[in-house]
Amino acid sequence: MPTRTTFTRRQLLCDTGLGFGSLALAAMLDQEQSQAQESRLDPRASIRRIAPKAKSVIWLFMIGGTSHMESFDPKPALNKYAGKTFAETPYGDVLKSPYMANERAVAFDPNNGFVRTEVYPLQVDYRKWGQSGLEISDWWPHLGQCADDLCLIRSMWTEDSNHGAQLQFHTGRHRIDGFFPTIGSWVNYGLGSLNDDLPQFVVMGTPVADCCGGVETYRANYLGPQYDGIPLKIDPRDPLPYAKRQPDVRREEQESEFDFLRRLNQMTADAFPEDESIRARMKSYELAFRMQMAVPEVVSFDKESKQTLDSYGIDQEVTRSFGQQMLTARRLVERGVRFVQVYHGSNGGAGNWDAHANLQTGHSKLCQQVDQPIAALLKDLKQRGLLDETLVVWASEFGRTPGSQSSNGRDHHPYGFTVWMAGGGIRGGIAHGNTDELGFHAVEDRHYVTDIHATVLYQLGIEPRSLTLPGRKRLERDYGHPIREIML
Amino acid sequence: MHNLVMPYMPLGMFLVAALARSADAQIDAGFYTSKVKPLLKEKCIACHGPVRSEAGLRLDTADHIKHGSSEGPILTIDHPDDSKILKRVLEAAPSDRMPPEGEGVALLAEEVAVLRDWIFHRTPSPDQEEAIAGPIDHWAFQPILKPKPPTPNATALSTVDGFIAIEQRERDLTALPESDRLTLLRRITLDLTGLPPTFEEIQSFLADQDSHAYERRVENLLSRSSYGERWGRHWMDVWRYSDWDGYKEEVRGSQRNIWHWRDWIIESLNENKPYDQMIVEMLAGDEIDPLNDRVLRATGFLARNFHINNRNIWLDATVEHTAKAFVGLTINCAKCHDHKYDPLSQTDYYRFRAIFEPHRVRTDPVLLNSPIAKTGFPRAYDADLSAETYLFVRGDDKQPIKGHPIESSIPLKLPIPISFGVSSVPLPIASYLPELTLEVERAAIEKALKKCDEARLAVDKSFQNQRESDLKTISSSESTALAAGLALNETTEKTDSRKPEASELRSQSDLAFEMLKLSEAEASLTSLKLRYAADKAKYFEGDSVANERLAAEALEAEQRWKNIESELRVATATRALRSAEQSQQKDEKKRAAAIDKAKKELTAAEVAHKKSVAADPSEKLKAYTPVAISYPKESTGRRLALARWIVDRQNPLTARVAVNHIWSRHFGTPLVDNVFDFGMKTPKPELLAVLDWLAAEFIESGWDMKHLHRILVGTQAYRRASSGSPEHMAVAQRMDPDNQFYWRGNVRRLDAEEVRDSVLAVGHILDDTKGGPDISEDDGEKNLRRSVYFRHAYEKQMTMMVMFDAASPNECYRRRPSVIPQQALVLANSQLARSASRKLALRIWKETGQVASEFVQRLFMETLNRPPDEHELDACLSFFKERTEKERIEAARYVSDAASKPESPKPESPKPESPKPEKPKSTSEPTLEPPASDPSERACQSLAHVLLNHSDFVSVR
Repeated sequence: MPTRTTFTRRQLLCDTGLGFGSLALAAMLDQEQSQAQESRLDPRASIRRIAPKAKSVIWLFMIGGTSHMESFDPKPALNKYAGKTFAETPYGDVLKSPYMANERAVAFDPNNGFVRTEVYPLQVDYRKWGQSGLEISDWWPHLGQCADDLCLIRSMWTEDSNHGAQLQFHTGRHRIDGFFPTIGSWVNYGLGSLNDDLPQFVVMGTPVADCCGGVETYRANYLGPQYDGIPLKIDPRDPLPYAKRQPDVRREEQESEFDFLRRLNQMTADAFPEDESIRARMKSYELAFRMQMAVPEVVSFDKESKQTLDSYGIDQEVTRSFGQQMLTARRLVERGVRFVQVYHGSNGGAGNWDAHANLQTGHSKLCQQVDQPIAALLKDLKQRGLLDETLVVWASEFGRTPGSQSSNGRDHHPYGFTVWMAGGGIRGGIAHGNTDELGFHAVEDRHYVTDIHATVLYQLGIEPRSLTLPGRKRLERDYGHPIREIML
Repeated sequence: MHNLVMPYMPLGMFLVAALARSADAQIDAGFYTSKVKPLLKEKCIACHGPVRSEAGLRLDTADHIKHGSSEGPILTIDHPDDSKILKRVLEAAPSDRMPPEGEGVALLAEEVAVLRDWIFHRTPSPDQEEAIAGPIDHWAFQPILKPKPPTPNATALSTVDGFIAIEQRERDLTALPESDRLTLLRRITLDLTGLPPTFEEIQSFLADQDSHAYERRVENLLSRSSYGERWGRHWMDVWRYSDWDGYKEEVRGSQRNIWHWRDWIIESLNENKPYDQMIVEMLAGDEIDPLNDRVLRATGFLARNFHINNRNIWLDATVEHTAKAFVGLTINCAKCHDHKYDPLSQTDYYRFRAIFEPHRVRTDPVLLNSPIAKTGFPRAYDADLSAETYLFVRGDDKQPIKGHPIESSIPLKLPIPISFGVSSVPLPIASYLPELTLEVERAAIEKALKKCDEARLAVDKSFQNQRESDLKTISSSESTALAAGLALNETTEKTDSRKPEASELRSQSDLAFEMLKLSEAEASLTSLKLRYAADKAKYFEGDSVANERLAAEALEAEQRWKNIESELRVATATRALRSAEQSQQKDEKKRAAAIDKAKKELTAAEVAHKKSVAADPSEKLKAYTPVAISYPKESTGRRLALARWIVDRQNPLTARVAVNHIWSRHFGTPLVDNVFDFGMKTPKPELLAVLDWLAAEFIESGWDMKHLHRILVGTQAYRRASSGSPEHMAVAQRMDPDNQFYWRGNVRRLDAEEVRDSVLAVGHILDDTKGGPDISEDDGEKNLRRSVYFRHAYEKQMTMMVMFDAASPNECYRRRPSVIPQQALVLANSQLARSASRKLALRIWKETGQVASEFVQRLFMETLNRPPDEHELDACLSFFKERTEKERIEAARYVSDAASKPESPKPESPKPESPKPEKPKSTSEPTLEPPASDPSERACQSLAHVLLNHSDFVSVR
């Protein structure tokens, strides 16, 4: 019989953090309320809790589609048959696979989203790393050093052959189905806060462009705006929207205003003891003020050693920007933020990783921007004992075609690609699942994108299946399946 | 922990584990009612219940369950595990499993355990168990019969209150008395106009001692145009208003210029257009009044569903939201399978879709005399009269059942006795050939004429210039010929032959160029006129010989025009090349690139020109380009038939759904909780009599919305205080904690638009311009117009609106206000709130003669619309004193700081007279109002800002 971790009502209500549309509820704690009423008022009462393995998630998203074959999924056959068409290799039948039908194209686009059938050789060498001997390409030399902590999932697939797949990766739904809550917002909704001074779902880097989901890749949709991701800028002077006082208001002046506001609201709260919204609003102002104070500290690196800063590559032009974001990510999870979503490669359109041409130049440069910072993050987390409770996820919306496009690039590829995870109760030094010899289809232990969501939720202690809201239909596939095989 | 993963594994494997006891609960009749019955209702009743009973099996009562299916019993009491019901829910094959794949998600292990436990304990159930009612008995499908008003009693003001009083008496609830007048005034003013009352309005209301002062004020508010802006936004939520969305210039959803529909909504409400007429205009405006722009724009309701990639998504949205918005039916649930609760079959879904199948969206040319449009606007029309609708297997558009087109209809099994009569609607010529109306033709010709006039002026000017400088430069007769556009072939040859001679090219004068432009404009005009003549003949004249001649003339003129046009392109490119060559660009790389680009353009232009004048007939135009687009000469009338079915007085749903929406927005809670689903899943509301009486009254009044508003805001229920004595509150709270019976007023948080608009209003900075194109969502802090006019679409919503729970453009039948820190940050730090409070403070400080206590009194009145109580007044006065003192010290410190080290102001204490923010792009663009330099004034500004952040500022009490 399934044992459930029972959460007391008080716990549940205290655990609401930034996402606290139910602050009003917290105010009612002192009144006697029946259990039935409680579950009617807060749909989260129906969430099934399990013992959590991780407390926080750092979600790294490469915009545009990173080549799996030039990163984490070596395919010697591509070198062997370079220049030949698929039909001329022993693997010509990949195009007849029923998996081809999983593709849902949005609209015909003559420039991309095609199966390219002339084999394009690997543009980079691979080597074996660590005790596990995990194979990782030479464009990821720093990450290679963390191989024994990585779990490569080489058998991902998605539906959208165009960059709407960026949205799909975050909501689990194809772009033409519309917008849905994103994985970060589900986490924010399902989990309580560990730190009331900070938002629980933070977004860094320039997000996906409007072509491909835009703000909807970190919004909460029907869960409500309290669960939206909050964009954070690495600028201690102006890190959050509306979290900076107007330039001509003194700090002392604003503090006295906040203080006096609290006194005035308290008078109203005393006059209307039955109106919970006043107390909820008072608490929200306290939180807002603390947030306004706390957030600049998170993005200010005064207290980090030079050694730390250098390890993230903040001293070098090429790695500075992403390095700052990685260091901030660590500082955020250190302070109890639940979900940190970091974008890399925004270019106002499909994304920089979208290597239809010049794959070698492009990818090697982009890898350089993120490789050292990501590795530094993993090492830093580990050294501080945080990696065990922090789940790091690295992903891109899809992979790239084994065949060539415009002589030196690869097209979009939804049929097989790689995502990796590290920490947070995930086994390190393993590769799970496989694509075929060409790197075309995921063939072994296939995983749709929501399996990543389910795994994240499961490690955080939420049974994904129980994330439902009355009146909001979720399809069976929206829930995904936790990948049991990769868990410690 | 591992047993927790059971839901992810085939259930059969877990039979043993699953059949462990479900809980330590007592397995009795109560267990059946609380566990078994809800489970069966969720998973099984749709197919095995009163609406459908497949295999003759019903599972809605224990008796039915024991009776079994037409194939026999489903329970084996003595060997529970052999029970058919358990075997079927545990079946591994998804198609044989219950519920089958596509119909529902398999039972979880613990759910199976509930069933088994119950069977194991010999199926205990209550003695008297009511079966679920069938559609014929469902409350919302009953005709609306106006309930007899209860016997009037001394306390009930109105019929509505009479009905409510009965329910309150039954529950021993004592209602709270009427609110004080100030609270009431704030409540109705915000409710009806979305703006708080001004100080003058408060004064005049308090001064009006007449017993009908309240009613008079209501009337006044309903007559303001701000009423339409407030209630327009409510209906925009329900009708899914969305501006166009897309990426860069590509429209992916909705339509450009759909704001015309928004303006129609607001104007219609202000005119008090009957609700039934509004529905007809939105669904079938093109069929009832096909030439009237004011009506046509209403079909934005349909145009809004446009989806660039997928016609099925477009039509699905149309079907779903037409049904939800007007009749409260979730017909969308029947897309893949029959509806689980309601008598709506899957075929019904496609019948409903067939109503919309022929329609599309188009933007007509703008008429010169259009009363509303300077731009075109999107409108619906039937484009393909014979478009067929197919049922999609399991809703999958890849699996249409072709060969069996489905005929349009309203759902057949709904117990609503109104016929659905379709008859096609013939359209006037101006509707199906919009370009051939006199106005459009005249507009097009006038535009072409204007171009000629401008060209002629340019020639004159150029001629003057030329003469003044050097007449010799226009020496060659070539130029004249070229300018006149004569001898085309010859000219081309000459152009070709001259090409290498750069000096000659350079010498081509401005005058020649302007003359060439003139001849292009004239040729274009001639061609346009002849194309009109040919088109008009084609559609309106029978003489085929004459028509052919006109067509040939139009072709010839068009060819001539095209030749000159391409020649002009060559000349333009030539000049561009010259200017690139002579440019002062210092960067050699850039200069070379510009020249290169110009050269390419010139080559392309020359090739095109050659093609245009080539003798080879295959390269030439074959027929003139028609000016007219011809649309079907009739419309199917299906949408009109649907609209008439919806607004038929016998339709039991339409008025009930609308009244519920209106009620909900006045009272904060609806009478029927699920505002878009009046189907069988929704139980009879407690106050059905109120709903029905109002629905009947609404219909009888001729669907008069303002009439309904008057009734509602006139009730005692609406006018009650939201708070009373603690003893009273405690008792009533226990009886009716959710205020289901309206014994008190509900406190509500302002809607997103009201919050922003209130800030603008109290600061006296609101720009009250009405209507017009959507304003960029990024300009919410700069543009001071009401929030309803800002862009509202996917990915394009004002941040401030989103944070205060504005409607999702996709669907928002009911808003859900939250309380989150981001809202606090917006009001604490936005430029808008700061500027408004500074202006407000200075104004009042002056008007109250700089007397602090007067100032505080007035400030409370203007922001919270109530006076401060004694404690608040004291607290504000001491805050004011403290702040003034503090500001005085700051000012002094600044002076001394400035004297000692002027160039290093401390970051944490900017000087009181702060630097002006960056200069705005245009002078009309408001920037942050700077703080006052006078210490008392600045203290006033702080206080005003505090009040804009007060809980009561965003609440209606």
